[in-house]
Amino acid sequence: MMLLLAQVESQPFFRWDWVFRNLDDIWDRTVEHVMLTLIAVTVGFVISLGLSLVAIRWRRAYSPITWATGIMYTIPSLALFAFLLPITGLSVLTAEIGLVSYTLLILIRNIVAGVDGVPPDVLESATGMGYTARRRFLEIELPLALPVIIAGIRIASVTVIGLVTVTALIGFGGYGFFILRGLGLFYSSIGTTQIIVGTVLSVTLAVSVDLGLAATERALTPWARKKVPA
Amino acid sequence: MIEFLGEVAAWFTDPANWTGINGIPNRMWEHIQMSAAATTAAALVAIPPAVYLAHHRRGGVLAVASVNVARAVPSFAIVAVFLPISIRLGLGLGFWPTFLALFFLAVPPIFTNSYTGVAGVDPALTEAARGMGMTDGQVLRRIEVPVASPLIIAALRVATVQVIATATLAALVAWGGLGRYIIDGFATQDSVEVFAGGLLVAALALATDAVFSIVERRITPRGTGTAADDVTRVAA
Amino acid sequence: MIELSHVSKTYPGTIAPAVGDLSLAVPAGETVVLVGPSGCGKTTTLKMINRLIEPTSGTITVGGRNVFDIAAHDLRREIGYVIQQIGLFPHRTIADNIATVPRLLGWDKQRTTRRVAELTELVDLDEEMLPRYPAELSGGQRQRVGVARALAADPPVLLMDEPFGAVDPIVRARLQDELVDLQARLRKTIVLVTHDIDEAIKLGDRVAILDVGGVLEQYAPPADLLRDPANEFVADFLGSDRGIKRLSLIPVSSVELIDGPVLGQGASRDDAEAMMRRFEIDWVAVGGDGTLAGWLGRDDLAGRDDISGITLRPFRTRLDVTDSLKEALDAVISSHTAVAAVFERDRYVGMITTEAISREIVQ
Repeated sequence: MMLLLAQVESQPFFRWDWVFRNLDDIWDRTVEHVMLTLIAVTVGFVISLGLSLVAIRWRRAYSPITWATGIMYTIPSLALFAFLLPITGLSVLTAEIGLVSYTLLILIRNIVAGVDGVPPDVLESATGMGYTARRRFLEIELPLALPVIIAGIRIASVTVIGLVTVTALIGFGGYGFFILRGLGLFYSSIGTTQIIVGTVLSVTLAVSVDLGLAATERALTPWARKKVPA
Repeated sequence: MIEFLGEVAAWFTDPANWTGINGIPNRMWEHIQMSAAATTAAALVAIPPAVYLAHHRRGGVLAVASVNVARAVPSFAIVAVFLPISIRLGLGLGFWPTFLALFFLAVPPIFTNSYTGVAGVDPALTEAARGMGMTDGQVLRRIEVPVASPLIIAALRVATVQVIATATLAALVAWGGLGRYIIDGFATQDSVEVFAGGLLVAALALATDAVFSIVERRITPRGTGTAADDVTRVAA
Repeated sequence: MIELSHVSKTYPGTIAPAVGDLSLAVPAGETVVLVGPSGCGKTTTLKMINRLIEPTSGTITVGGRNVFDIAAHDLRREIGYVIQQIGLFPHRTIADNIATVPRLLGWDKQRTTRRVAELTELVDLDEEMLPRYPAELSGGQRQRVGVARALAADPPVLLMDEPFGAVDPIVRARLQDELVDLQARLRKTIVLVTHDIDEAIKLGDRVAILDVGGVLEQYAPPADLLRDPANEFVADFLGSDRGIKRLSLIPVSSVELIDGPVLGQGASRDDAEAMMRRFEIDWVAVGGDGTLAGWLGRDDLAGRDDISGITLRPFRTRLDVTDSLKEALDAVISSHTAVAAVFERDRYVGMITTEAISREIVQ
């Protein structure tokens, strides 16, 4: 043990040579990370949108829905994967089911809050002018709820990007793969390098996605920025 | 499936799993102890400055930024990063990297939500209090903190659950806790142990959440609104 | 044009109806104002016309058609609807907001654009506003957009629920005037709800005074209401200054004017004093040939032989023949001369006295 620790002291902290030798691997893991995230957030959004519509139409359903998704949210991801393993095995499905279940609470809350936040006079004038319920939802309520909804998507995305790393334990992981491997080699600088690479890339991806979504929101809602009365 | 659940039940009824270092009581206790220690330490460090800054209406940007930045760092990464750090600091494996990681994990949400709680106290209340002649300190102690206390408890609730969840990963840095069952189970391909571990961790997390919720509701001063539900980081 | 027949609305869980057995007919091309205290069901009644609230019983017809015979959203596309907070769509430009109903009806782009331009002019809105968003407009401008939007598909009927309640009194007065002008041009059938009796009198061709529960106390043109309130409730609601309110409906031109104590520019001091004695006043006006230069008081005559060198005082208010007697009364009361000069455009036509005004009230 002391020998191992002594080795750690003597090696350089970060091994750039490792990075350059493994660029292909890093790229593969990037693709894996992005794909897992994309699928999880998209599927999560579709499910959340459906459940939100139910909750909006039948207000009494909102409490049970948030209760159920809240439980899924509170259960640690590792535990959730542990439950899914005997059922769906070491597959992408296991990973995705786990990841998707963490997005539901956030997305449902934000979709419902966004729609609820539409001013009632806007809704009344829309109905009064002859909008059908369906068109009103698609043309008036959803677009006006967009800022809050996108805020939810941002949080969900960043959260999922973090959780994807945990899927390293069931054979995936994206950048988490490097973190896990780095842990196994903790006594060497290659180990620490991989931990750092995995971490930095994860954070970079999360920040980029967050900023990208923020920019998308700004582009989609030009009306939200104009404020000065003429 | 039924067969599998039967095996899991058998695991739970096997007395061997209830004794010794790797027994459920020990692992559960380890897990609870560590989570409590890390969260308490984080609370002691994060709550006072949060309350102080919020009272003086300073540092709002820091409050918002800290959670947003922290959310971008995966919990798994935080645990992993502290291993080499701990070693270089001469603190070794097991306890220290786990404790430090969980500590730094818990600080941002506790800080931000405590700040938001105090800053969000209805200004009409503080104005009225000052108008009645209360000193700054009195306003803080008698108005702001009590009114914000449900939100501070909520902050602790969210942070503790995250800590409990992340602690399950700490088995990877040679620590114990309930994550031991899951990680060891993965290594030995013992899906029963994995599942059982999952149940224990989930139970602990849900129970903790429930207890905190009850406390939240109890200490909500009568007449004030609902507690906050700010979720910042997901359980790892 | 619009007929309500034994319409009532009772909300589930309540015993007393919000509106109970109301029958009302709105003639085509007229503005009918529903007014009354809180709880009289005026807004409920209005909203039953376009089925935003469904009546519990009774029938409503618009243009001879039963409102229940067509789908609610189709009905509403043929009725203009303006509410107090307007409810402009924040995420759409002003042009798109105005074009809402035409789009719902499937008009082609060209026709829609032309109509939007027409309406912009009609409500006196600056073209520049069209590509802007509602958040960039002032309250008064938004109100105008709201009206334009309601008129976009040229509906025969317009429903307005406290449309001017959310703006300050100065803007409100201007918007009311603009509505009156608009109505003179378009002759739509308008049903307007307000809690302000003065607004009702100003805007309505007919006014329906409702009591709690949708009880119709009186339904008549404003002048009739003011002259002969049907009962104590109506009289109270009209206010104790009923007589003066009536004055706001009568133009100066319908009252007899006097020539007034007017002297020519070259009059002598004796002429002036004779005029003052004749009218029993201490001043004279100076002018002639349809113009009025001003007036002078007895003190101004001191030490002079004629009036030519005296600096004349201007009349504080000049009334036009189209002004109301209420404005005339205000002018007369606040002037030293106890009369007001009346002009038809720029031509002096006479003076109005308090006697003439009070004769109208008493009639």
